[in-house]
Amino acid sequence: MNTNNNISTPRYINPYFGGVLLGLLLLVTFFITGRGLGASGAVKSAVVTTVDKVAPVHAEESDFYSKFITDRHSPMFNWMVFESLGMLLGGLLSGVLFGRIKKLRVEKPPGVSNKTRLIFAGLGGILFGIGSQFGRGCSSGAALSGTGSYSFGGLIVLLFMFGTGYVLAWFFRKLWI
Amino acid sequence: MNKNYIILAILFIILAGGYFLLPERENIKQMKPEDLMRDIVQTSRYVTTDQVAEMIIEGDPTLELIDVRNEYDYFEYSLPNAINIPMDSILVEEYQDYLGIEDMNVVFFSNDDILADQVWVIAKRMGYGSLYVMEGGLNCWISTIIKPEAPQETASKEAIELYDFRMGASMYFTGSDISTPSEEGAKPVTVKRKKKGSVAEGGC
Amino acid sequence: MGPLIPQGLIAGGWDFVIALLLGIAFGFILEASGFSSSRNIAGVFYGYNFVVLRVFFTAVLVCMVGLMYFHYMGWIDYNLIYVLPTFPQPMILGAVIMGFGFISAGFCPGTSYTAMAIGKIDGFVFTAGLFLGIFIFSEAFPLFEDFYYKGNMGNITIGEFLGISNQLVTFIFVIVALVAFYVTWLIEKRVRKTITPFKFE
Repeated sequence: MNTNNNISTPRYINPYFGGVLLGLLLLVTFFITGRGLGASGAVKSAVVTTVDKVAPVHAEESDFYSKFITDRHSPMFNWMVFESLGMLLGGLLSGVLFGRIKKLRVEKPPGVSNKTRLIFAGLGGILFGIGSQFGRGCSSGAALSGTGSYSFGGLIVLLFMFGTGYVLAWFFRKLWI
Repeated sequence: MNKNYIILAILFIILAGGYFLLPERENIKQMKPEDLMRDIVQTSRYVTTDQVAEMIIEGDPTLELIDVRNEYDYFEYSLPNAINIPMDSILVEEYQDYLGIEDMNVVFFSNDDILADQVWVIAKRMGYGSLYVMEGGLNCWISTIIKPEAPQETASKEAIELYDFRMGASMYFTGSDISTPSEEGAKPVTVKRKKKGSVAEGGC
Repeated sequence: MGPLIPQGLIAGGWDFVIALLLGIAFGFILEASGFSSSRNIAGVFYGYNFVVLRVFFTAVLVCMVGLMYFHYMGWIDYNLIYVLPTFPQPMILGAVIMGFGFISAGFCPGTSYTAMAIGKIDGFVFTAGLFLGIFIFSEAFPLFEDFYYKGNMGNITIGEFLGISNQLVTFIFVIVALVAFYVTWLIEKRVRKTITPFKFE
């Protein structure tokens, strides 16, 4: 079906097919768990766990950490954490199937140095970390699952996230083209 | 442009638009009789008077006591911080706010547990969760908590411990001698209307 | 009938097994669709590759249409589905910050996991940044706690906000998305002529 397939592009599944699969998965997730998929939640659990281990008193006192700490079990014993572990496995599985597992590498356009790429990747991560907390979720939790379940907030995140991306695209073009 | 894509696009439009052509289907939310019966047969909805007393004394913030007797009886005597929803007004709109509050466990009680049980069935049928019935009702409350019967000398250790607890609870509720640690009525039932979803916020 | 877990139809212990399985499927689909490559993702902003838009919108459409019919058949109880609460101001700020992050890194959290899985160092660095970012947010939380909770609109849906039914929202979404698919297809065809095609990793 995909007419753009040529030798220089690796074998990805047709994006619409991927989308249908993802949509069905989301639907199944809603059907089973009543809530959508997510990704940044696992890292949040990791942050809370780390802070709780390193500075338990500080974590207790903080309005933010204490929301996620219960006496019953570690914050790592969390739905999102297991889901994210699954994502790693799933990515690995697909990588093996399609032959994309290679040695450790940095992916970047030809004109960009490794250092620049890594700095911007890290910076993007930090920004995503901060933004996902304000946005009540990242692109999977808020934009995808939120919009998929008709949440107005999900739509806001979706529109403003991609909107900002487009507004900034011109300024960041050196990084990508 | 691939022909398959056009077919898929049309399929999508039909799927999304076709919904409006479907006949109305109502009463989807109603509970199936089998489900309701299964829930009624189960006795897990009962909480004992001891459990209720303990929760009140500990100031459990998730406890929501609902007195389903009439107003007169309610003012005569009721449990501390109980809300009065007479059985015949359980369907009234303004009382609905008290049911289905997130994280709240609703405990119905009446003089015995029959009336409370009936209200439980109605509320269950309306689709609310976390509903309980105080076993034995207020009669049982009086005989176990307020005026507990002393066990025999030969009674088991558990029975004596239970009696000790009940005596303590009795003092707590009747206010006889010892000063109660936490002032009564310090546990306002926060009524926030339940919105959709009951899963914790946060994450992504 | 559904959703199963909130109704207690699945025993507690299975929660995490299900989470793992759903995660595997999620990771697999993301990777297989090409989301493990940041250049692939960033293409959506430069018109050379709209895979993000295609996968994303198709998924949203399928989910919306599916939920609609599940609801019609009485298989799923809308009221038990978690609708993300809406806090307009903080959400807009968050989304703009994430937009910055998106264009500079070319990843979002989910896709960075799959990039890690196939051995991309930038994926690891992104995830480390994510950790740091959430840490910074949590430490600085008292500074903007008020703003964080600003403008709470509760669990409002798009339809409720616009005053139309969510079925109509779905229909509008389908039309908008199909138009977007067609337009981006045209754009992609033009852009790919002007830039030298490169090899994805």
